[in-house]
Amino acid sequence: MPAPPGYSRQELMVIEAARHVRDGDVVFVGTGLPLLAATLAQRTHAPNVVCVIESGVIAPRVRPTPVSVSDPKVMYRAVRLGTLREVLGCLLQRGLVDLGFLGGAQIDRYGNINSTVIHSPGGMKRLPGSGGGNDMASHCRRLLVITRHERRRFPERCDYITSPGFLDGPGARERAGLSGDFGITVVTDLAVLENDPETCALRIAQLMPGITVDAVRAQTGFAPGVAPGVREVAPPAPEVLGVLRDEVDPDRVYLREDESVSAARR
Amino acid sequence: MQPRTTPRQAEKVMTAAEAVSRFVRPGSTVGMGGQNIGRCPVALAHEIIRQRIGELTVVGCNLSISMDQLVGAGLVRRTICGSGNLERFGTTFCWRRAIEDGTLEVEDYSHLAMVTRFLAGEMGVPFMPTRSLLGSDLLRAAEKVAPAGGLGGTAGRTAPPTTPHPDRPVVIDNPWNPGEPVVLVPALRPDVSIVHVQRADAVGNVVIEGFATHEPEMMRASRHVVVSCEELVPNDEIRAHPEQTTVPFVHVSAVVVQPFGAYPTSTYRYYDYDPVHVAAYQAAARGGAGAVREYLRAHVWQCARFDDYLQRAAGRERLEALRRAMQEMV
Repeated sequence: MPAPPGYSRQELMVIEAARHVRDGDVVFVGTGLPLLAATLAQRTHAPNVVCVIESGVIAPRVRPTPVSVSDPKVMYRAVRLGTLREVLGCLLQRGLVDLGFLGGAQIDRYGNINSTVIHSPGGMKRLPGSGGGNDMASHCRRLLVITRHERRRFPERCDYITSPGFLDGPGARERAGLSGDFGITVVTDLAVLENDPETCALRIAQLMPGITVDAVRAQTGFAPGVAPGVREVAPPAPEVLGVLRDEVDPDRVYLREDESVSAARR
Repeated sequence: MQPRTTPRQAEKVMTAAEAVSRFVRPGSTVGMGGQNIGRCPVALAHEIIRQRIGELTVVGCNLSISMDQLVGAGLVRRTICGSGNLERFGTTFCWRRAIEDGTLEVEDYSHLAMVTRFLAGEMGVPFMPTRSLLGSDLLRAAEKVAPAGGLGGTAGRTAPPTTPHPDRPVVIDNPWNPGEPVVLVPALRPDVSIVHVQRADAVGNVVIEGFATHEPEMMRASRHVVVSCEELVPNDEIRAHPEQTTVPFVHVSAVVVQPFGAYPTSTYRYYDYDPVHVAAYQAAARGGAGAVREYLRAHVWQCARFDDYLQRAAGRERLEALRRAMQEMV
């Protein structure tokens, strides 16, 4: 095991997610860890990132730490506070958004996401629903999901497809009428998964420090493949960690998990 | 043309009690303004609860605390929306419980698809296309009810049937590009929308500041709009800055002057949300039917007016602190 590195697994998840934001990207983002990642990217390697928030907020300089897409902190110094139609229609459906951050209760082998309903022998559990999630998955070129890695969250097939990933596999998006120019990255506390360009199925692209492929598979409801050249997620640069802690979420509204990456897992 | 009892340019300022009793009827389809913890029409929803007007269909994009309180009061039969939740503060617990118990019908859409339905409504056309929903189960739920030979899993290569479900989307081929599936969503025209805004004048010209979510489309699509406002402004002020009018008086039926009318949610440029009281409601909502009724008894039914609730739930000092918190940000 490596020496205690002085950062939590959750911090590394946010930092790794931020690495997938490219400078100049138009990024559609909600609150929580995604907004931390987008804001961190904006304050470090991607100063020209354009954040779009679905309540109608365009290009804000987010103040720490908003708890909602309607929180005034998410609107700070925006260039436009408009309408849902402007951002979901005129930017997202119009094809002007590069990257969307999405969450959900389940994500399956083909990157389909469920945020609507879970069925179990004990009955159904109702979830909040699509929100702008279906719109993001339908119209973004790239999707980024940050989630805890638990077996129940990664089923073979979602109980309900709220937001389309690759649906049934190669060609399915095009058959449904969606753009096939699409990619998905999932950052978890165990690994970074991405879609296999051939099969469209999620596969292991990177491993969190100290985590093995077997450990990931043990917590996944399907058997993910392994990308060639799979490697360990790079540790955070100290200055990036500093920005995350001091500027992005100084009150630790979302960064609450204390578990160090060197600590034994559960 | 709908029947009108008052000219559109008449003064429309009235109490919440009068506005709600005149324009919200049992069985109404109610368009809900606000989003999450921002500018929810809390005062107007309280008045509906106070008058116990039931069998409502509540529609919107994100439905949050006001919808949840109406459901908790047992007044909602059905919701049509894109989501129900309060983000960091958790889900809408009464709504979730009612769906899981089978006492509430729900029609699921994405947020863009809901806005598109209002857009059709406000434009006076029967439906509007979107490319959202394709491939997802939000659409498959629609296809299940389609008559045989209608909208199929073959991406709708046949013509739509004559009578799809009135509240569900259908898929057609793009007439200009056969083979390209397109979703059509039906126009949605609420009987009445309730929206809390920053400013309005006496005849109902409305100024929304900051983010406006789905409200402009929904308001213009509605048969009646009841707004509550932070400030009543002179008509001259509206006419001095007409480009700032979000929705003109033509669409608005009633104006209720109610400062802090969105409390405990925020109103941009006026006051921040109150996390303590949002959490207090959420604790009651999570606690079950009994706890919710106790909350509503204390905060709605035992309060003759919304100002009594403000006094009980927050108090002057707290409200002023929320004002300062917002002023510090904008």
